[in-house]
Amino acid sequence: MSPLFMTLVLAVGLAIFGRTMYQRILLLMALEPADRFNHIKDRLKNMVVIALGQKRLVGRKKERASGIMHALIFWGFCVLLIRSITLYGEGYVHGFQLPLLGESSILGYLYLTLKDVMEGIVLIMVIYAFYRRMVVKPPRLHNTWEAYLVLGLIGVLMVSDLLYDGARFMLITAHGNPGDLHYFNNPTFGQEFLWTPVTIAAGNVISGFSPVGLERVMVLMFWVHIITQLTFLNLLPLGKHFHVITSLPNVFLKHLGYPHEKIKLLDLEDESVWEDETLGVNHLHQLNWKQGLDLYTCTECGRCKEVCPTYVTDKPLNLHDFNDTLKAELYANADNLILRAKLAKTLTGDAEADAKTKEKMAVFKPEKALVGEVIALDTLWACTTCRACEQVCPVTIEHVPRIIALRQGQTLMQGEYPEELNTAFKGLERNGNPWGIGYDKRADWAEGLDVKLMADHPDAEYLLWVGCAGSFDDRTQKVSKALVKILKAAGVDFAILGTEEKCTGDFARRAGNEMMYQMMATENIEVLNSYKVKKIIAACPHCLNTLKHDYPQMGGHYEVIHHTDFINQLITDGKIRVKKSLAGVLTYHDPCYLGRYNEIYDAPRSILGGLSNQGLSELPRHGTESFCCGAGGGRMWMEETIGTRINVERSKEIVAEKAETVAVGCPFCLTMIEDGMKELDKDEQVKTRDIAELVAEHLA
Amino acid sequence: MKILTTVKKVVDVELNIHVENGAIVEKGLQYVINAWDENAVEAAVQLKEANKAETTLVSLGSGDNTDIIRKCYAMGIDNAIHIDDPALAKADSPTFAKVLQKVYEAGDYDLVIAGKQAQDTDAGQAGIMLGEFLGIPCVSNVIEIKVTDDTHIQVSRLGDAGTEIVDVTLPAVITVSDSINEPRLPAMRGIMMAKKKKITVMDLAGLGTSVEEIGGTAPTSGIVEFMPTQKRKGGQKFEGDPAEITAQVVQLLVNEAKVL
Repeated sequence: MSPLFMTLVLAVGLAIFGRTMYQRILLLMALEPADRFNHIKDRLKNMVVIALGQKRLVGRKKERASGIMHALIFWGFCVLLIRSITLYGEGYVHGFQLPLLGESSILGYLYLTLKDVMEGIVLIMVIYAFYRRMVVKPPRLHNTWEAYLVLGLIGVLMVSDLLYDGARFMLITAHGNPGDLHYFNNPTFGQEFLWTPVTIAAGNVISGFSPVGLERVMVLMFWVHIITQLTFLNLLPLGKHFHVITSLPNVFLKHLGYPHEKIKLLDLEDESVWEDETLGVNHLHQLNWKQGLDLYTCTECGRCKEVCPTYVTDKPLNLHDFNDTLKAELYANADNLILRAKLAKTLTGDAEADAKTKEKMAVFKPEKALVGEVIALDTLWACTTCRACEQVCPVTIEHVPRIIALRQGQTLMQGEYPEELNTAFKGLERNGNPWGIGYDKRADWAEGLDVKLMADHPDAEYLLWVGCAGSFDDRTQKVSKALVKILKAAGVDFAILGTEEKCTGDFARRAGNEMMYQMMATENIEVLNSYKVKKIIAACPHCLNTLKHDYPQMGGHYEVIHHTDFINQLITDGKIRVKKSLAGVLTYHDPCYLGRYNEIYDAPRSILGGLSNQGLSELPRHGTESFCCGAGGGRMWMEETIGTRINVERSKEIVAEKAETVAVGCPFCLTMIEDGMKELDKDEQVKTRDIAELVAEHLA
Repeated sequence: MKILTTVKKVVDVELNIHVENGAIVEKGLQYVINAWDENAVEAAVQLKEANKAETTLVSLGSGDNTDIIRKCYAMGIDNAIHIDDPALAKADSPTFAKVLQKVYEAGDYDLVIAGKQAQDTDAGQAGIMLGEFLGIPCVSNVIEIKVTDDTHIQVSRLGDAGTEIVDVTLPAVITVSDSINEPRLPAMRGIMMAKKKKITVMDLAGLGTSVEEIGGTAPTSGIVEFMPTQKRKGGQKFEGDPAEITAQVVQLLVNEAKVL
């Protein structure tokens, strides 16, 4: 077309884009390190399935329509990327063709068709997207000018390319190609327009134009397309559409093995960490670069808040606002963070020399306190760590570890946390349980049940980890007793630790109290390792999760089995038999730490299916999208004073399903849902039972 | 203003305390800061925060109290003294009060804040005796402290009939109730940073006194024997026809319980 103009446009467009990206990358590099470049094969697989395959967009039934819409626009864009290269080439060489995709190969023709059809589809999807935003207005979306602008730009990109080709089509086929335009015309495959139905349709729209008019439309649409595309590219890093660039890397770099980045094992003995406030996230620069990339990538689609138990019960935690606020703060302090990081690199380890550098670094501190001013305390403490948000996030943002790191800063450094936690922390410190009941009463529940202690039977095949609730809470003690009945019926060789067991430290860790967690973990691991424990059965998913995933960081390696998995195996192996005699409507509430954290969904269902004489009926929110009871992340020990109560919200859902029995597999869920039923005055109609209790009652 | 506050390390009463042969079984016991003393420390720190006071903590006992002292430092205490002497192992209230008197006299304090009693013995005497020995005013069971000026404070005291508001001339001793405040749980950072703070440890000789002087050789009182509390007997359940049961219960109340 015009090599000079093309060069100018490209130079300006790419230079500005390059500068923005350079700043964005420098900012990420100024943040803390994160190790995300191992297991490349697994990472590529995630990228293909989740990002390229749009798994979380298309895969959710509830969001299928918008998911397909997004996937088609995305796939359309991928296809058009190749077309763009051809167009840039056209700026320099008339009739530019890409190798393999030229007119000599069928591939070239197939690509033309694909591109043509995708452009049509994307255009329809853009219209649908406008319709959704303006008419349907799904509550999770918040309409911004940016959203409309970007949709508009996508529309312009499609229309301009189609009209450009349409004008070419008309000039070549209807007007005898006066400008001697190049087009595919292979003797085997014919004219390119035989392959492009949408282009023909576009050509027909402008068929009334004279050859001169058509030529002008063609040139105009060419440059509109090129300039729109470069404008679009430059707009991307400025707003939520940065995800167009960052999603693929973000999914590629997602945490592997455990659903999200594990809580960092902090070195609490190092005195300098206490002086320098380097435990947890107290300041922006303490976020790691992957957490920064998460913020860049947040699409503000609102799926996270829609499934968030706190948001739907009117708590102030709104995850996409949370991300947006942090991102804005990150950008506002970008220059300072980059300068600070440069200085940090010059730290020598020599206290005297470093003191001066640290003084200079302190100058670059953001004006606002990260927690308290940027993020409100109530927002930070609302989270139940249920991971529903992470499970649905299409771009695999890890919200929970960031919240816990911020809580660590608050609990360890500032001493700012909900007052109610004091009692639970004190109980943990003195008696190894959040209730603060005398530690020596820990095995009282087992009195008269003839349960062996590890101290008397150190060779037991299984250790039954009872947990604090199972030991001290009157209601949950019944679950412990039921489990003992089952294990005895199956002839399992097991023992308990009795007074040697302490809280695993789960809630303390998730409330940011790493010190209390490490105290508990150290003592527990010491005891477990002294007995050479290998296999542990736990009836509490929080205990299970901590024993299984947190303790290895401190030298505790055990095979940890949830009681539902264990019972299911006992049934399968014929070690126990159950009667299919449970009457009435039975439903199951998936505990977050059992399901989303440990992917145990089937065992509980398999057991319940074998008990109920009318089969298990599922709740609307179940499986990976189960709704939290409200007790995770230390929330069990905090007051819930804002909005409506999470457990009541869940209980209403259970009542609405006309359930007569709701089965759970977690002591916290048991307490929360039973309380919810009492609150609704439905505790007589709907019985909340642990799966172990139901099995024990229906043993054949 | 200089404030002296006192702490005692006591057996954790949340635990089952077992008694064998008239003595408490030591195995399995754990020791914690006396809850009322925690209120006293909190009260002292709050006064310091509001009135530029200097706070000194004194802990008495025989053995290491570093853990609880460190926590008090983390709560905001400025100085700490630990009187560690084997002679204090079986000390009674007057003995403790005498030691506290010595500590008080060695400093130049305006106000002593103590817990109203200790969880282990529930005697509630040491603070009051200290006031008596020093010949300065003492108010017990305090639920609020207000500083009037350099020489006066106004305290609210929980009496039998209601709240008494008392004007107190300094120096004075006050003993506090647990409803005066909710002791803060110190930030972990505070506890770790407190590791660096100095604890002045001394025995009775270091304090300039002796076992004889504080009456430790012949305590005015001592424990003869511990006896376990009697377990409550389980109740009796009646099932069946209400009319029959009522008759049965009434008969039992008249003949066996002899309450009717």
